[in-house]
Amino acid sequence: MRRLWTVLAALATLSLTNCGYNAIQTNDEQVKSSWSEVVNQYQRRADLVPNLVNSVKGFAQQEKDVLLGVTNARAKVGSIQATPEVLNDPGTFAKFQAAQGELTSALSKLLVVTENYPQLKSDALFRDLMAQLEGTENRITVARNRYIKSVQDYNVTIRSFPTNLTAIAFGYKEKPNFTVENEKEISTAPKVDFNPTPAAPAK
Amino acid sequence: MNAARASLLALLVCWAFAACADVAVPPLSGRVVDQTGTLSSGDVASLTQTLKALEARKGSQVAVLIVPTTAPETIEQYSIRVAEAWKIGRKKIDDGALLVVAKDDRKLRIEVGYGLEGSLNDVTAKRIIDEVITPKFRSGDFAGGISAGVGRIIGVINGEKLPAPERRENSGLLRNIDPFNPFVIFAVFIVGAILRTALGRLIGSVATGGVVGVLAWLLVGSLGLSIIAAIIAFIFTLVGESIASANGGSGNWSGSSRGGSYSPSSGSSDSGGFSGGGGSFGGGGASGSW
Repeated sequence: MRRLWTVLAALATLSLTNCGYNAIQTNDEQVKSSWSEVVNQYQRRADLVPNLVNSVKGFAQQEKDVLLGVTNARAKVGSIQATPEVLNDPGTFAKFQAAQGELTSALSKLLVVTENYPQLKSDALFRDLMAQLEGTENRITVARNRYIKSVQDYNVTIRSFPTNLTAIAFGYKEKPNFTVENEKEISTAPKVDFNPTPAAPAK
Repeated sequence: MNAARASLLALLVCWAFAACADVAVPPLSGRVVDQTGTLSSGDVASLTQTLKALEARKGSQVAVLIVPTTAPETIEQYSIRVAEAWKIGRKKIDDGALLVVAKDDRKLRIEVGYGLEGSLNDVTAKRIIDEVITPKFRSGDFAGGISAGVGRIIGVINGEKLPAPERRENSGLLRNIDPFNPFVIFAVFIVGAILRTALGRLIGSVATGGVVGVLAWLLVGSLGLSIIAAIIAFIFTLVGESIASANGGSGNWSGSSRGGSYSPSSGSSDSGGFSGGGGSFGGGGASGSW
């Protein structure tokens, strides 16, 4: 009798692996770790911002609005806790994404402004910070791509038969994915303005 | 029927677009892959020699790729794809670096593996590009720029403390055995226990040995090794229960470990060719243009 139970238990374990329970676990963990990498790289960017703002401030004090915009966006990013639980709450996920998108656009505005300050652009510290920022933005892109792929794997697993039955039984839901942040901006054609831009402020 | 045909057509169209969308990742034919014919064979040989010496000394793998263009992708998107496909650098140490030059785009990038991000960080990579490579590229000296850049990269790697490269003198087959793969041991243990319970000790052990032997043969492709694995699994299953009862159940695991646990991961650069060691990349590095 005991032997029979041993065999039955072994068979039950094997059948669990067949119904996709383990696949769901693997994919779920994959999603979590790639999400952590996304957050990690966003954090790295947020850590760079104060130094960047300081180095720009030394050369371009006039650009108060832009600098303030970056600082505010950075503060907003810092106020959102990006734990893996965010993934189960589409609302928080969207908020997180919106905050990071705001920082992205604030930073790109700052970079446009710095074009007007040749002295700043040749400053060694600023160049190093720019190299770090570029590298970090690229890491964010890579991390987001990997997250998108892992969510795709996960969602496909819990939506396809027969693993969807297991997913329903254990309460696994689809995870949110990244969308293009500026969908509207992309769909409208860019305007070309030939009016002379205001002259670069004197240093 | 029509709907099915239409969807099939749509699928084919999609595939066609997907196929021609991006520049393909070239095969890793050597440490220096030049698709533009920019470097002379002497340049390639001396660069290869330098990079080979680096791997022998430090274990790090560095590769150079020159392509005409990466369009429609940016060089960052392309180089991370190449890095993911080539897997340069040792597994888990991730000490690989890749220098990608897109000649007609006038762009270049140093892609850095996770393990080198500390020393060959973004700032250092950017400086190597801006101060060492691009001045030479501007004057048309591609070979000089690349070898000077690679020299700098090697200099940075030399300053980094990395695990020493492994020296394995034993034969090719034994090298790849991973004796501590717990899944294989566990699977053999379970299968052995089930078969012994179901069929009795002797027949069960024979059956386990047979299963392990066939599996090892399928996985490894070597008849001799799979027979050894089968014999080990047979003995293990035969005496397994008595050892288990004598030792309290955990002393018998290491006995079977050499049986089926053969992982076909490839070693690198031993037989003249060159292959990545399984390093991973996360988008670190820097880009530049000239």
